This record gives sequence, structure tokens and C-alpha cells, in this order.
Amino acid sequence: MQYSQKVLDHFMHPHNVGKMENPDATATEGSPSCGDQVTVFLKVNEESKVIEDISFLSYGCASNIATASIITDLAKGKSLEEAKAITWRDAMDALDGLPPVKVHCSVLAADTLQTAISNYEIAHGLKEVPNFSKETIIEELKKIIYPKVGEDIVSLKMVKYVGFSDGEVLIDLNMLSFDSWRDNVAEEIHEHLEKYPEVKKIQINFP
Amino acid sequence: MNPGKIYLDNCVTSAMAPEALEAMLPYFSDRFWYPGSFVSTGESANEALASFQKVVADSLSADAAEIHFTSGGTMANNIAIKGLAAALKGGHVICSVVDYPDLLTNAAYLEKQGFELTYLSADSEARIDLAELKAAIRPDTVLFMTTIVNHVVGTIQPIREISEILSGADHKIYFHADAGQAYGKMPLSMKDLGIDTMSISAHKIHGPQGIGALYVRKGTKLGQVIHGVKRVDNLQTGGLSMALIAGFAKAVELTFRDFDKNLAQLRELSDYLYARLKEKISDIELNGAPGMGRAPHNVNISIDYIEGEAITMMLDMHGITVATGSACASQGLKANYVLMAIGKNHVQSHGSMKFTLSRYTTKEDLDFTVDTLARITEELRSRSPLYNALKNQEK
Repeated sequence: MQYSQKVLDHFMHPHNVGKMENPDATATEGSPSCGDQVTVFLKVNEESKVIEDISFLSYGCASNIATASIITDLAKGKSLEEAKAITWRDAMDALDGLPPVKVHCSVLAADTLQTAISNYEIAHGLKEVPNFSKETIIEELKKIIYPKVGEDIVSLKMVKYVGFSDGEVLIDLNMLSFDSWRDNVAEEIHEHLEKYPEVKKIQINFP
Repeated sequence: MNPGKIYLDNCVTSAMAPEALEAMLPYFSDRFWYPGSFVSTGESANEALASFQKVVADSLSADAAEIHFTSGGTMANNIAIKGLAAALKGGHVICSVVDYPDLLTNAAYLEKQGFELTYLSADSEARIDLAELKAAIRPDTVLFMTTIVNHVVGTIQPIREISEILSGADHKIYFHADAGQAYGKMPLSMKDLGIDTMSISAHKIHGPQGIGALYVRKGTKLGQVIHGVKRVDNLQTGGLSMALIAGFAKAVELTFRDFDKNLAQLRELSDYLYARLKEKISDIELNGAPGMGRAPHNVNISIDYIEGEAITMMLDMHGITVATGSACASQGLKANYVLMAIGKNHVQSHGSMKFTLSRYTTKEDLDFTVDTLARITEELRSRSPLYNALKNQEK
């Protein structure tokens, strides 16, 4: 496994790191038990809706810290609408790539930024709290990386079916029994969906 | 950056002793022959091989005929376990959840071959429970396997007590031990430990990589695993490097010369390291057994609120090589199975750091490591949401 020089630079000397006093919005994603956690703080100009200041805290590995650092660089000075378009792929490109097994770290940082923006918009009456639906599940699955190749499981067409009724999530996943990443991906799916109170049960089927 | 300037990952592999390299050279050039008979070249190699076997045997209070060179510790484990299984043909096997992967992967293989397996649990210090072992023994139990010194936390298994339990059974239970981390780090006498087969490795004791040995107690029958022409040994057939064997024997000589003094020095260094770590860094804890319950070269700690891959990377930037049990640093993205099995939580496993020392480690190396680690810890904690949350609570 090899990190790019950019990853090492942002890891050793991260930009915009540290707790922000009186932020306009904040979000924390991930959990210590999953091995990484990122908090993002935002200061947003109420008139122009421009992100005037942003900072982060990270409990995680080198790529976790580096991707959180680059995400804050990408978002700083952008309007909320512009910042909403920032994805984990942008973070990864800006870092000159990540080893496949580390791509999931970039997802967490991008995800935390988006949640912080969403929290700001909800708090300021700019949008409603979104309803949980099948689309929510698919959006979450797009954040789950198949560590072998460093692409998400939806783009890789590994998700064959998604169903949701009465609190029960049903997912058909095209992963063979000898795939050593199967448990890892299943665990990630649980972590991503269990945070929604609407989800009572998750059933993942394999061929 | 100066890679490996300070190397504290000696449980993986260790720097070769210059004397061992020196001892190997003639076997790469003038004395390139294989053991054989009738002709002077083959006889000369026979004599050399016998002398190397004796050096290794003496270090274990064993007979030279009980030492079989192999291409490493893993090969030795495979020849012993699969060889015993082939001879025994079936039955019940006991090992533990904290064993070295060599033993655990072989255990899984035996299960596929129809053997029944019991995996003993381990206590919070990674020691197996003797009462649990006693209770696990069945009339059809044929084999017990253990890792003498745990490869992650350095805890020493109670070999004598295990041996008494096994020999107290009303039928023969074979005892296989992996001594990869134990050999050269504690006295191991085959005369009184009741071990039937045991694997050792050269490159963990400043010998060359690619050579190890299997101790097989006289009279122990092993089915043949590797079939082929007999050159050096009838257990691992095919050729083995005489140069590597020569280097191994020299490394053994050096390790066991002033053995007690060497062990005391290693113990003093690791005690010093742990004391300095505790003094300079808050919120750390030792993983595994304290004091004499652990091998003298292993210090394994968990540092709260930060993650081990990041710590390891930063230490690496300063030329310091250590290991971590963090999932983020593992190829399978899994928390270390030994730490999880002894009741540590994910955070403790992610923040775990393993320092393994050697006789080449100096106090200055350790001072530099601790000072650097203290700065890194402070820096990473300032970036950590967990540490910031804690500080907020304290306010």
C-alpha cells in the first residue's frame, strides 16, 4: 500500500483542523468502533449562503485525516449549492488517488460535509427533514466501497435488489461466498443503515 | 526520512547478525556442496550439517537427530501438524483462539479433513485457561497445539502445566508448539517440557530469512507431507540452502552465548520502554500479561482516543518502525483478533501499538521513540473528536 505525496502532505500538515467555537452547523459521522469518525464544523454567511469557514476533527487513519483536510479545502469559500456537489470522488482526485482499500475513508469525510450542510439547511428552514425511503437506502449503498477495487457497490452493479417495507430492508448482493470482503461489505451496510430509526431489520441475501 | 533507522518490529523479522552473514559466505562459494555420501565433497557437507544440527539441538537440550531444518517456521508448523494428522488419521484437536495464524489456518484445514476442533478461550492477558483445557480433553483427543509466546501481546503460555495435564490423560495426546516468538527469548528445554514437535525460525533471532527448524521428539511418527528427493532431510525433502543453515547456526550460537545476561538486558530495556511511555503519555494501558508473564522483547500498549495506523505512519516519517493492531492498517480491515479475543474493544485495538525489541536495541533508540511518540500523540489527540469531547466534559 502506497499513499500519494499529497495524502502524506495533508496527513502531516492538515488544513482547517480543530474545533470551531460557535459554528452555524456541525455533523459527526462514523463511530470509534468502526475505526473512524469525522466531525465537520461550518460557518455560513446568512445572506450569501457561502461557507466562510470550515474545520474538522478526525479520529482515524492517515487517509481519513487527509481526506477530511482536502474536503475542507474544496468546500471553503463555496456556496452551499456548490458545496453540495462535492463528492468523495472529488476528494480522491484532489489527493491524486487512494489505495483501493482506503477509498472508504474519503466517503466518510465527504458524507460528513454533506450532513453538516443538510443540518444547516434544516435548521434554517431551507429544507424539510427528508423522508426515509428506498432512495435513501440506495444513496447510502452508494457510499459503500468494495475495498478490493475502491469503487462503490452500486456503480459496480453488485446490488441486485433493494426493498423496504414495515421497517425491513431487503438487499440482494451479488457477492460470491468465497469473496473475502463479503463480511466487511455486509458490516458496512449495517453500519450505514442502522443509524436510521426507520430501519428495524436488515436482511442481506447473497447468491 | 530514514526507513528503519530505529527498528522495533523484531517479532516480524530481525536484522541479521554480521557474524551470521560471515558464516554463510563460504557456503555460497567454495563449499557449495550438498550432503551426500562416499565422496569428499558430500562428506564435508554431512559433517557441516551435523555440526549445525548439534548447535541448534544444544540450544534446546535436544539430540541433534531431533532437529530437522525447514524453509522457515511456517513450513515447520505444516510438516508437524499435517504430518501428525496424517499419522493419526482422525480425532479431536485442541488449540486456542489466540494462536498464531500458522496454527489457526492448519486447524481450519484439519476441520475440513474431518478432525473435530476445540478452540480454547483466553483470559484478559491472553493466557489459556488450564481448567478449560482439562475439560476439553476427550477420549479421542489426539493433538494439542499452542503458541508458546503470543505473537501479538507477548504473553507466555503455562507450558509445564499444560504438559502435565496432557501427560495426565489416560491416552497419548501429542503436543505441538509454535516457538517462533519464544525461541531465543526464554529457556526452552526439550528434556522436560513434554513437547513432541516444535517450530523455530532463524530470522527472528538475527539469522537469515528462509530457514527454520522443526524439533521432533525421538519416536514421534509423522506422516510425510512433502514428497521428493531426500537431500538434507526426509521430512522436508528437496534441497535446502547450506548457507542459510550455517547462518542460522551462527545466529543460535550468538543468541545463546551469555543467554541469561541477554535476556536480562532485553527485559530491562522493555521495562524501561514501558516506564518511559507511562511517564510521557497519559491514558495508555498495557495489553497482555505484565512483568515476567510476558516475553522480554514485547511491549504492547493501547493509546486512547487516537488510531494506530496514523501513529505508525507518523513514527515511520521519523524513521521509527513499529506495528499496530488497527483495522485500518490490516489488509482485511479487521481489528486484531487476539486483542478482540482478550476482551479489548475496537477502540483499544485500533489504538494499539506493538514494540518488539532486540539485542541491538539501545536505550537511546527507546528515548527517541518515546519522545517522538509523545509529540505525535499530542498532535493526533488535538485532531481527534473523541479527545476533544473528553476535554469538553472536563471543562
